[in-house]
Amino acid sequence: MIGQLSDGFLALAQPLTFLHLVGGFLLGLFFGAIPGLTATLAIALLLPFTFGMDVADALVMVAGIYMAGIYSGSITGITLNIPGAPSGAITTLDGHALMKRGEGTQALGMSALASGIGGLVGVIILIALAQPVSALALQFQTPDKFSLVLLAVVTVTIVASGPLIKAMMAMALGLMISTVGIDPMVPVGRFDFGSYHLVEGISLLPAVIGLFAVCELIAQSSIPAAVGKAVAVAATERPRRRDFLPSRAKIREVGFFTFLKSAIIGVLIGMLPGGGASMASFIAYAEAKRGSRKPEAFGKGSYEGLAASESANNAMCGGAVIPLLTMGIPGDAVTAIIFGVLLIHGLVPGPALLAGNFHVIAPMFAALFVASIFVFLSVLAFGPLYLRLSQINRGFLYAFIAMISMVGVYASSYSFFQMWMALAIGVLAFLLRRFGYPVVPTLMGIILGPYLEEFLRRSLIVSEGDPTIFLRSPASVVLLALTVLFVWLLRVRPALRVGAQAAKL
Amino acid sequence: MTRLFRGQIIFALGLAILNTIYASQLVQMDPPFATGEPGPAFLPVILCGFVYLASITIIIREFRAAEAEAKPDPQSDIVPRISLLGPAVTIGATALFIVAFSYFGYLVAAACFTFIVAWFFTYEQSGKHLRSTGFAFVTAAVVTLFGWLFFVKLFGLYLPVWEL
Repeated sequence: MIGQLSDGFLALAQPLTFLHLVGGFLLGLFFGAIPGLTATLAIALLLPFTFGMDVADALVMVAGIYMAGIYSGSITGITLNIPGAPSGAITTLDGHALMKRGEGTQALGMSALASGIGGLVGVIILIALAQPVSALALQFQTPDKFSLVLLAVVTVTIVASGPLIKAMMAMALGLMISTVGIDPMVPVGRFDFGSYHLVEGISLLPAVIGLFAVCELIAQSSIPAAVGKAVAVAATERPRRRDFLPSRAKIREVGFFTFLKSAIIGVLIGMLPGGGASMASFIAYAEAKRGSRKPEAFGKGSYEGLAASESANNAMCGGAVIPLLTMGIPGDAVTAIIFGVLLIHGLVPGPALLAGNFHVIAPMFAALFVASIFVFLSVLAFGPLYLRLSQINRGFLYAFIAMISMVGVYASSYSFFQMWMALAIGVLAFLLRRFGYPVVPTLMGIILGPYLEEFLRRSLIVSEGDPTIFLRSPASVVLLALTVLFVWLLRVRPALRVGAQAAKL
Repeated sequence: MTRLFRGQIIFALGLAILNTIYASQLVQMDPPFATGEPGPAFLPVILCGFVYLASITIIIREFRAAEAEAKPDPQSDIVPRISLLGPAVTIGATALFIVAFSYFGYLVAAACFTFIVAWFFTYEQSGKHLRSTGFAFVTAAVVTLFGWLFFVKLFGLYLPVWEL
């Protein structure tokens, strides 16, 4: 295995293969950074082009897009408060707060460093533990999967800023949107109001674009340029490339343990079907906040929070590939498309894949490793460019975002109806923001809703309606206990402390 | 009653009305345990009930809470009532873009859409009609051309051009 792995790294030394990696990386960087475009879309668009490629080159290119696309979702999140991809949503909370404080260079540098470390940890774990750990993940039963998704749903809701009831309402709205369309278990249309468009459901891409790009466009148009965020952060001094290197003090503030712990959380969640970059970053963020000495700084510009979410979402890349390659189970949309790339080239993902074709897959492992290093180097090369995204003329910037987002929705579905959906969700998101409801739980409700519903119903069908099924499996009990622990530590205990202090006064 | 306070209550009521529209579809579905197993209506019924409860809770809290002093909306020196007019312009322009896109195709719709958005933001910043118009023309041309090259030429995707 080590010999074949070395061959994989040597394959990257081939100029053409290396060019595929660089090309994929730059494509992923661009797609991830532009709101409305995602790494998923980039790989989906690449799919037809892989027919003519060598399989190793195609996989190398896909690995470059994947790693760069997940990382670069945070770039416009930090600079413009619009995450380029859902995985960058939680990073936006602290990243943009730092940007407004004039620490944009350090925020971008820390984001790249954490993503690079997370990516490397993810790939190392992928290489070392692929088979034994994926065998463990295979043991997860449906009730365990429900408890995992519930943990994510609850965590996302309780870490959201503002009143808990409004966060819960926002989550419920997202879950309701996810129920539109064909039922996941019975072939019955729901909430379609007699429209064949709604039978297909509301796709993730219009939802993401509506919640972030359209909402931000509307929100920015309601603010005068003099107080607009894009202008407020434009006062940052012209940065030098070395300014993007995170200072030792900032790295110490985050701590090696936070980087590592978040990366491991990312890998573990990435390995579980239904997990993904968003869930990984949310749970790592919540865990970092729980263990932090300064939890009050989270959401207001915490390097620890930013590093935790970024480290986890890039570590997820390595984790998500494990069940795909060893069990043939794609963990998220990107790995589902990688599944397609492998099938196009006659390779069937599953237990036999690594045994018989490791030499074909090895360059992909090597590409994920090298792409993780590229992630950090990219901020040194393009950092000043990233920062200038906030100094672009507002008219040009929002005209560009408006066009590429709306046309992106059309290009991904060829549906005018999905464009209307993006606009409707954007207006709803704008109103939610205006009245103090967090928007991120709505997005997570849309993403996690189908999994939550399917695993819940399947479990209850198996147990004939007995809810104690969730307490019969050790894994489920641990996940439910973690859920209760997070609620206690992040909501109940702080509320009790505030109450006790108020009583003293 | 402050504007913020009134707005919070109206928005919570609006969500309850949306919830009622959602719930109207539930009556056309089988009850959650019609077959003895949790069916398609199972989660939606729970969500519907929760949203009603949450709406009522938010409204009661708003009434009980001391009326918060609403922060005045930021004012623009150039665009009057920007907090209302700005969203009206961008929402209207986006809606027009979708309609125009389906009838006139990408080039016309995208050029007009990007022109309106660029003009609004630039005019609000500079307050100069002529300069904003010139800048918006250039922006519309550049962004529309970029979109065409990117989606059609680079990725070979289909965008309608002139469908009349």
